[in-house]
Amino acid sequence: MRQSPLAGRHREAGAKMVDFGGWEMPLEYEGTITEHLACRNGAVMFDVSHLGTVRLTGAEGFDRLQRTLTNDLTKIAPGRAQYTHLLDTDGSVLDDIIIWWWQEVGSEAGSPPVDIFDVMPNASNTDSVIAALGGTDITGERAVIAVQGPTARRQVGELWPEAAAVGRFRVQPLNWRGHSCVVAGTGYTGEDGVEISVPILGAEELWDGLVAVGITPAGLGARDTVRLEAGLPLHGHELGPGITPLQAGLDWVVAFDKPEFRGREALLAERTAGVQRSLRGLHTEGRRPLRAGYQVSIDGTMCGEVTSGNYSAVLGHGIAFALLNSTVKIGDTVSVDLRGTATPATVVATPFVPRGRSTGV
Amino acid sequence: MNLPGDLRYTSDHEWVRKTSDTSVQVGITDYAQDALGDVVFVQPPQVGDQCGQGSALGEVESTKSVSEIYAPVAGEVIGVNTALEESPELLNSDPYGSGWICEIRVESMDILEALMDAAAYQALIEG
Repeated sequence: MRQSPLAGRHREAGAKMVDFGGWEMPLEYEGTITEHLACRNGAVMFDVSHLGTVRLTGAEGFDRLQRTLTNDLTKIAPGRAQYTHLLDTDGSVLDDIIIWWWQEVGSEAGSPPVDIFDVMPNASNTDSVIAALGGTDITGERAVIAVQGPTARRQVGELWPEAAAVGRFRVQPLNWRGHSCVVAGTGYTGEDGVEISVPILGAEELWDGLVAVGITPAGLGARDTVRLEAGLPLHGHELGPGITPLQAGLDWVVAFDKPEFRGREALLAERTAGVQRSLRGLHTEGRRPLRAGYQVSIDGTMCGEVTSGNYSAVLGHGIAFALLNSTVKIGDTVSVDLRGTATPATVVATPFVPRGRSTGV
Repeated sequence: MNLPGDLRYTSDHEWVRKTSDTSVQVGITDYAQDALGDVVFVQPPQVGDQCGQGSALGEVESTKSVSEIYAPVAGEVIGVNTALEESPELLNSDPYGSGWICEIRVESMDILEALMDAAAYQALIEG
């Protein structure tokens, strides 16, 4: 199993370690709910080194991304990040990806800057992303630390003001005590914050510095529950084989006006025919979590299934994502088969917890 | 790992405490709550339920998974911990005390002798 450059720090902190996409990563330190609420009310940091980094460069890299991925890179510019999808030819989402686009100064005086595209797939999808895009896998050269929460920027600023100043969806190469880092105003929690790619030699020092300014480590357990509350999809649950961006309600990720991207014909056909199922939110009254695979019915007729579910620590009741027939509308009451117990749920819009404006209970 | 010496234990990670000549209290062990992670819901049995040794007694759901609770002894459920409805996290914070799950009336206490003592259970979880 692959180890994060920060694995030693996690063990010292007493983290419970789990296999995640072939990586041994921290599930939790103090406890998932404690870490979840710390992210909503203060600041936490997640080690997300298991996410891949595939680097493409220059005009050739730009063309490759623009011709293959769904979003339109011409909508952004160097120094910006973009969320995008890699599709299969049938329109299925092979992976959802963040691209950090930044520029490296030319190696010789007077030479132009070089465009760098750091493509960040989900851990287990890195190989299929490289197969589709090419590029160099630099995952093993760096750690990635995501600092997230309403006080994340203020606290990062006590250690490293330049990193704290990187704006939302902005990307900037920055030097940290001699280590060449890349900092982006991105995340996966619905909260403000920054993500920092740091060379492995500087990773522990940066982690320790963030601990010293009071940022609490949080594990992948809390990362999953906060992303669910924030209404953010997880590949393998809300995205994956047989699920298109249109079904997931992510039409904004798809630039149909581009002449070419993989899966374009299949998505155009689906759009013309009408999208048959849609990703929706579910609320339950009680605390009992709904879980992936539970069947959903309306008026006694099957209408879909749960893709992710859990207890919302902020709301105090169960929440879930479900892929439902598009005829099911927000406000409808459905019935979920909870291992034999018919459990009523209300179809709601997501995010469940407003992004960046949450308060814990 | 906290393993009180006055309790009996099962290989399914429940504990049993004698509360009278005919009744026992049942819960899950410190080891079990730690493995489950944050408990967010407990489905206890109902008062009056008859259970056989090893039969399903209820369910515990955490942020990451769901686990069945198995009856460590045969008997009749005579009490359940209603505090768990609002505060299932008591299983994490006080697994041998306020996080108890139910009380069972048993025919005979002999059955307890067949369960593990703390040393045997410790050997099991460290094995």
